[in-house]
Formats: sequence, C-alpha cells, structure tokens
Amino acid sequence: MDFRFQNKRISGILTILPQQVITFEEEMANYNFSPIKCQKLKMAMGYKEHRIAQKGQTSSDFCIHGLQYLFDKGLLKPEEIDALLFVSQSPDYFLPPTSNIIQGHFELKHDMICLDINQGCAGFEVGLIQAFMLLDQPAINKVVLLNADVLSPKVSDQDRNSKPLIGDAAAITIVEKSETPNTIFANIQMDGTGAMALNIPAGGFRMPCTAETAELKEDAAGNFRALDNLVMKGDEVFNFVQREVPPMIEHLMEEAQISKDDVDYYMFHQPNKFMLHKLADKLEIPYEKMPANIVENFGNASGVTVPTNISYNLGDQIVNGVKKVCVAGFGVGLTWSSIYMELGNLKFNKIIDF
Amino acid sequence: MEELVAKLAEILEVESLDLSKSFKEYEAWDSLAILYVISMLDSDYHKTMSAAELQQFETIGDFCKAVLNK
Repeated sequence: MDFRFQNKRISGILTILPQQVITFEEEMANYNFSPIKCQKLKMAMGYKEHRIAQKGQTSSDFCIHGLQYLFDKGLLKPEEIDALLFVSQSPDYFLPPTSNIIQGHFELKHDMICLDINQGCAGFEVGLIQAFMLLDQPAINKVVLLNADVLSPKVSDQDRNSKPLIGDAAAITIVEKSETPNTIFANIQMDGTGAMALNIPAGGFRMPCTAETAELKEDAAGNFRALDNLVMKGDEVFNFVQREVPPMIEHLMEEAQISKDDVDYYMFHQPNKFMLHKLADKLEIPYEKMPANIVENFGNASGVTVPTNISYNLGDQIVNGVKKVCVAGFGVGLTWSSIYMELGNLKFNKIIDF
Repeated sequence: MEELVAKLAEILEVESLDLSKSFKEYEAWDSLAILYVISMLDSDYHKTMSAAELQQFETIGDFCKAVLNK
C-alpha cells in the first residue's frame, strides 16, 4: 500500500541509550557453542557490544528521561505537543496505555491525543506514517513519536540466536508541518500468516506466565529458552527479508521517481551486519550508503534501530545540511515498510545516555 | 554441480566433500553454516529453502540434486 504526504517534516531526533555496555565476550560462556564457533558468529553477524537496560528500567523511563532533556534544553515545549505516539512491544502495563502515563507524568495539556502502537522492527516507519496522517488535521501541528523497547529481559541468556544482538533503547522524533512544500513517499505491507516468526509465546492472555512457562528447554540447535522468552525463527526472517525488501525499495524509488544512486543514505532497520550486506548486494547499493554498524555498537532495539542509526551515522550532516534518505523497517508482524524523504535542517539529532 | 559442491565445501571448511555423507557428519555444520547455505541458495541460485527443509536431506548429494533440478 502506497502513501503520499505533503508538507510534513522531521524537525528533531534524540536517541536515548542505556549506559550499561555488555560485550559479546562476556556472554560467550552462556552459549552452548565452542569459543571458535562463537568467534565465527561474532565476525559474521558483526557482534561486539550492546546496550542493556538496568533491571527495573522500562521503555517509558527512557522516554521520560529524553523528553525531560528536550524540555530542559528548550528544544521542545510541553504545550506544543498535540499528539504523543508510543510505539513499543514492551509497554509498562496491559492497561492503561503507556503514552497516557507519559502524558500524565509531565501533566501535558488535555487537548491532545495519546496512542500506543504495538509494532516492532518497522515501528519507526509505522509511527511516522501515523504521525503524518495526524498532521493532516488542522488541530495537530506537532507530533512527538516515541519509539522505545526494553526487551532484553525477555531474551534468554542462553539463546545465541537473539541474545548477542538484542539492545534496549528509546528515540524521540519530532514530526511537524513543513513551511516549505514537499512530498514524502511511503509504503507498507503486512503478512500475518508469518506472525509467529518472531514472538514471545507466554505472557499475554492466550498463555499467561506460570512456573511451567518459565522452564528453560533446549531446542534443536542447542539454545535454551523458556516460553516466557522471545523466540525468532532466523531462517524464516532471513528468507522473508531477502524476498520482500528489495522489490519494496525498487517500488518506492519508482513512486518517488528517483534513482537509487541519487539517494544519499539507506537507513535501514538493523537485524545484523550479515543480513544488511546481503540486502545491499541485492539492491546494488554501496555499503557506505547503508550503514550496518548499530548492532555491533548498541544492539538491535527493534523499532528504535532506525532513529539510532540516523542519530549515530548522520549526526550533524542533517542538522547543518539536507540529505535524501530512504528509511526501511522489516520484521515482527510480519511487517515491512519504507519511506523516502529529505532529512535536513533538524534542530537536533543526537544520542544521550541514561 | 561442481560449483555448488565447491561452495558447500567452503562453508563446511573442508578441501573436498563426500556427497554420500550427510551435512550433520561435518564438524562445521552448525546454525551459522545453515544460514550461510540458505543465503548462498538465495543469492547464487535464487532459491528459497528453510532450515528444516535443508536438514531433511539424507545426503549432500541429494541436496545438490534438489537444488539444481528444482
């Protein structure tokens, strides 16, 4: 499904990362894999270190810390916020919505909309599409998009599929009406038949957490996981991404009538270096235009990887200048989505620690 | 056939491959090798195979025949 949006822009991105750094080496002993094989895995996937939240810290804590920072620095005024979107798979509670909790924490105005959206790897794109749609309303001038996930507590320490790559993080993206006319091109596709390719079996209403769901069991590849833990069917995800993402990007380029070479950066979701390089090869995009260094430095924090990627790799380039950027997310759902837009003259684009 | 066998030998880190053996009989056969094979099939042969399908072949020879005839 294609979307077009007129006269909207991103005016700031702040990424908030946990202070705690965990290295791949520290965790190797937990895996049922020889040290030599662990080193091969590290090289192939681009594992080095990742940021993990302290016990007890939730997604909303990172959002609140980031918003407070923006208010304190005068980069955002509380009364300007007309919509607060919280895109996450790790809400504080089943109810109430976490976006309402954050609104309440800052005692924001009542005349606004708070929305929680359950989305994963494509969470930045889904959040942006929602923000752009809200901005079509005359009453809405500024949307604060929060992408946040603290999923590390749900990943088994003895799961070398998911543990070395998981990261916790939050990002705040300010989306507003643009004074200079522009067009943003977006698309999204969904396939619920693959919904369980990435899932956490227990903990919802379908299978509540019990003593049994907490029991660790070994899978065919020697990983230990409980039903309470996140499980990823790596081969299914890999095949899905290689099949669906390249045609989606080709289609987006056609819609936007721009050639792949004219795009300055492809800021994609960060599953691991291996998968991103395969995507770049297929799309015939040079690796320099498609950064793949977020997992090795910070980990994969689901929908937060794209803003983290933008803050880390583009930094002041889009504060002091303008770049033609294609963003894309793909995974949980299954959902895949991409957006082409110009990113520039941002008020801020940086990373802070919490 | 030769090209595919050479690629598999490289993934399995051996000089030459015994086509009558199964993947499992090779020391280097692990989850990472499985991913390498899946990826190689996708990029070099435009074929999609799941990890489960890959592991069903009794011999590497059967696997090669299936890939090249599919």
